[in-house]
Amino acid sequence: MPNALVVFEAESAVPNVVAELDEVLRADGFDVAFSTPDDLTMRTEASPQPDLLMVSASLGLQRVALVGQHFMVDGRVPTIISFPEDDLSALEECVEGGFDYVTPPFRRTLLRSRMNSCQEKSELTTTVEEMAALASLREYERELHIAHEIQSGFLPENLPVPAGWEVGARFRPAKQVAGDFYDVFTIVNGRRLAFVVADVCDKGIGAALFMALIRTLLRHTAEHTGASRLVEDEFLLSVDGEGAGGSAAPLLSLGAGPLVQAILGTNRYMARNHLKQGYFATMFFGVLDPVSGVVLYINGGHNPPVVVHADGRRTLLPPTGPAVGILPDSSYTLGYVQLDQGDTLFAYTDGVVEARDIQGHLYGMPKLVDLLESNRGSDAETMLEEVDASVRHFAGHAEQSDDITTLALRRTPAGFAGP
Amino acid sequence: MAFKAKMRIEGSTATVRLEGELDGRSAPELNELVVRAADQRVERLVLLLEDLSYMSSAGIRSLVFAHQKMPEETEILLVGTRPDVAETIRLTGFDRSIVMRETLEA
Repeated sequence: MPNALVVFEAESAVPNVVAELDEVLRADGFDVAFSTPDDLTMRTEASPQPDLLMVSASLGLQRVALVGQHFMVDGRVPTIISFPEDDLSALEECVEGGFDYVTPPFRRTLLRSRMNSCQEKSELTTTVEEMAALASLREYERELHIAHEIQSGFLPENLPVPAGWEVGARFRPAKQVAGDFYDVFTIVNGRRLAFVVADVCDKGIGAALFMALIRTLLRHTAEHTGASRLVEDEFLLSVDGEGAGGSAAPLLSLGAGPLVQAILGTNRYMARNHLKQGYFATMFFGVLDPVSGVVLYINGGHNPPVVVHADGRRTLLPPTGPAVGILPDSSYTLGYVQLDQGDTLFAYTDGVVEARDIQGHLYGMPKLVDLLESNRGSDAETMLEEVDASVRHFAGHAEQSDDITTLALRRTPAGFAGP
Repeated sequence: MAFKAKMRIEGSTATVRLEGELDGRSAPELNELVVRAADQRVERLVLLLEDLSYMSSAGIRSLVFAHQKMPEETEILLVGTRPDVAETIRLTGFDRSIVMRETLEA
């Protein structure tokens, strides 16, 4: 049986009006209850939710509206109909405020038709609101999809692969758009292979916009810095690497200029124009000489890539400077590592080592290094697959919370080299 | 462990105690406190990190944000940072912009 609740001030009530309402509502099959506005505050969650609220206009517009708020569930209020006691001007006020009304003498049919029209009106409003919400959600999804498509265009379609080398990458964003990216392209007339793995802090649209900017700055600068340009920046202080030994040779190497200019230029641009927004990117930027196997690199605050050597050694390539865009006056050191036949350089973003299982445990660096070492003889694709499978297996049904990017560069061992 | 952040401002020093994991989900909470501290024009921001078990790159971004938001002379002091978290900060090179100490008195 439907419930009706009649709300009025006890002392100001005109008793016959309330009695008349009661009679008509009961005749129409309602359970009728009465309450004063003050008693409404005593209601508990167990009190039944009325289907119909009849509220005395004598309470005044504001209090009539407040009575409605009392019964709001999920943003919806029951049908409210105001009725006058002895004060028609109070009723006028409620009607102007948008409330439906009935006046005595109350008639069953009149009351019923008024209720029906109220119901329809409120259902219609709800439907329109739901449709509007749905439409804006669709619009949002469409925009996000477009963002995803555009961002895909900022990743290389095909990776250039020098003879005698294997190059591969995997990219698995946590959301439709990502802050991670990788890039592989040739510089100095195809004589060097540049490769980048980067992680723009944060996720989602904000990170994606900065990813597009940073990728463009890096690639554009590296591609347009001539090989003849010497490393003239005072920021560059020294050379680090397994075979550094005080030799300045790598500095004069063809790829050094574009590499240094790309990192310093991007850092300067970010610090000068975007420092306030607090975005920065950690990145590993390597430049390979495919003939000698020497990789020059700058690691800007990025997780150290792992080099698995065919001879059983393992080298980590730790940061040689801060994350790019974090400080205006960052200085970077040039690192270098020699890749011989069968050696693999594996770069990744923190989404790999900070992947979590369902209990919240981190995947961790030791697990990654073990896995890479156990794949010492594998080709680049297999290594990428193994890492991807291992991280997926570890995470299980846990939600992927960060973008995951990996890149492998391997010098094909003798006997495996193509024609 | 759930993230908790509590701030106390005394004189020109804002002290924030962080607990749990500072990542993309919890970082906005810290950013909000940083904005409040910056509004009070504090000269020193002290972060008590003994009970902070993890910091992601979004957490580092919160520190960068604090560094940007505060006047240039403001000192940012990290106290009792756990080794893993300190390593994360060092990795990005942001340790150059802040001071890390074992204890508040040291």
